[in-house]
Amino acid sequence: MAIAKAERLMNLALCLLGTRRPLSKRELRGSIEAYLEAGNDESFNRMFERDKDDLRELGLVIETVENLEGETGYLARRDSNRLPPVSLDAEEAAALGLAAKVWQQARLAGAASGALQKLRAGGMPEAGDPYEGQHSAIEPRIPVHEAAFEPLMLACRDRRPVVFDYRKSTAAHPETRQVEPWALECWRGHWYLAGFDRDRGAERVFRLSRITGKVRSRAGKYTAQVPDVVTVRETVASWAGESADRSARIRLRTGAGYPLRAKATSVKEGGDGWDELEIPYGHGLDAWLVEFGPDVLVVEPADLRADVVDRLRAVALG
Amino acid sequence: MAANAIDQTRRMLSLVTYLRERPGAHVADVARAFGITEDELISDLDVLPMCGTSFRGGDLLDIDTDGERIWWRNPDASGESTAEPLRLAADEATALLVAARAVATLPGLRESDRDALLRATAKLEAAAGEAAGASSRLSVTFESEGGVFADVDRAIAERRRLWLRYYSPARDELTERKVDPIRLFAVGHTYMEGWCHLSEARRTFRLDRVAEIRLLDERAEPPAIEPRDLSEGLVQPAAEDPEVVVEVGPGGRWVAEYYPHDSAEELAGGGLRITLRSPDPASLRRLALRLGRDGRIVSPPELAESACSAARAALAGYGEQG
Repeated sequence: MAIAKAERLMNLALCLLGTRRPLSKRELRGSIEAYLEAGNDESFNRMFERDKDDLRELGLVIETVENLEGETGYLARRDSNRLPPVSLDAEEAAALGLAAKVWQQARLAGAASGALQKLRAGGMPEAGDPYEGQHSAIEPRIPVHEAAFEPLMLACRDRRPVVFDYRKSTAAHPETRQVEPWALECWRGHWYLAGFDRDRGAERVFRLSRITGKVRSRAGKYTAQVPDVVTVRETVASWAGESADRSARIRLRTGAGYPLRAKATSVKEGGDGWDELEIPYGHGLDAWLVEFGPDVLVVEPADLRADVVDRLRAVALG
Repeated sequence: MAANAIDQTRRMLSLVTYLRERPGAHVADVARAFGITEDELISDLDVLPMCGTSFRGGDLLDIDTDGERIWWRNPDASGESTAEPLRLAADEATALLVAARAVATLPGLRESDRDALLRATAKLEAAAGEAAGASSRLSVTFESEGGVFADVDRAIAERRRLWLRYYSPARDELTERKVDPIRLFAVGHTYMEGWCHLSEARRTFRLDRVAEIRLLDERAEPPAIEPRDLSEGLVQPAAEDPEVVVEVGPGGRWVAEYYPHDSAEELAGGGLRITLRSPDPASLRRLALRLGRDGRIVSPPELAESACSAARAALAGYGEQG
């Protein structure tokens, strides 16, 4: 039976961490059973390169050193691989325990548990059974349903340009976009990417659920400078109509439209079964008001009134 | 058995450092400290005796368990390689830091919890060093209503019943109800799951739809029910719910992003024909009104007709003929 990959990786890690002098590939092959069984040189080389990459994903710093004979050697020095002392008290440990549970994405969930285990090995105290009522009862979860998340997360991390097909919210067909990804942000349960769009020569925000097909990596460096602060949320909030710069006056049937009342800057009871509200007027307000059907009447401004009437006509036609 | 060799390797590297300090450690304690099942731990302990710095040099890890306690008979054979925990990888630092920062910004969280998160975050950033850098490229915001959150949190801690005035968008109405809170969770928005005495059933309430909340001097006694699995979508229509078919143009494709649906067929011209289910199709009148010229309800016909007549009634208010 083939030797399990975890066993092979563990052996390679122990060899590289345990040595004081660089070990050549030949030496490593002679020390690790799985490599002896690997068959020919080519398949061993492929396996070895992949394993080194995997260990680097775990955080291992593997140095490559050339010896006098020109042979390449590998080692993982203790001083560049050790976790510096972290002194966490039981409260802090409990807080990190809560944080480690939020990811519902396999790669980050695994990474979060791995980090806790390293801290545990470094002496992080175990939270005893927290007695009831001591901590907030909240269970936070970060949803990741979008297939594009993981490749984009890695591209942001490694600063790698990407190409993907993207369908704008109102477009009939997807379009290919070439992007230098900067940052990912999750808002109201949806993920967004901010980055430099090469064809448009400007910053753009993309909603991950509108990416169709695969995210492909591109070689080469970024051409645009990455800003110090990337703000995704402001852009998305303005799509959602939350950056209102004007105000509208509407009549609302008494008892109806609670969310409109919650957003209103003023509410005047009319006494005739209708109330008059002043509400912020941003992008998308017309569509929202139409949802309330005959319980809302726009007083002003005229352009909003016209947009609402226009939408109602389309629905009335059936 | 760990599905992922990378996760298992990372765990085993921490495990050997942890076991080195604790001869005769109990299987149950170690599994709990590592957040894994005892079976997972045993499967790691099966692999470790095959590991060492040279399989021929007789320095394989001599780690053994009788199923209850764990013994490592040659901790010095592996030299210094297992003496200290390993530095955090970039993904590990990102996973913990992004989550801790997100939770720390939740409005309504207890200050003691927020302080502990912020202190832990600062220590973790210092310990992670460069590896913490990439964590700024990922961020998460939870939406919550701080005041309502704090009241629900307190009610859960004190096992008290709540009184709510709650907004239901499906009917555009506020209803008063008593609820025995069970849990508080955040998935984008923040929600309370509880036993609702009005509907005599388990219900999920979104905190930003709570118009008013009061803690009652009554003991909450929710029936014992299996908590729902948060990895599934929050809205799970039942198989017996009536079917609704909506056809949208390119401008209405967002419907497929927001409404869980059974199918979404591409139409010529970039539109979609979306089939979904709803326990209460009348509640989708808002959707039909909102879509305007970007889409229409195909069935049931009563729903299409109710949207149409609502639009005509609204137009009459503007002095227009529908």
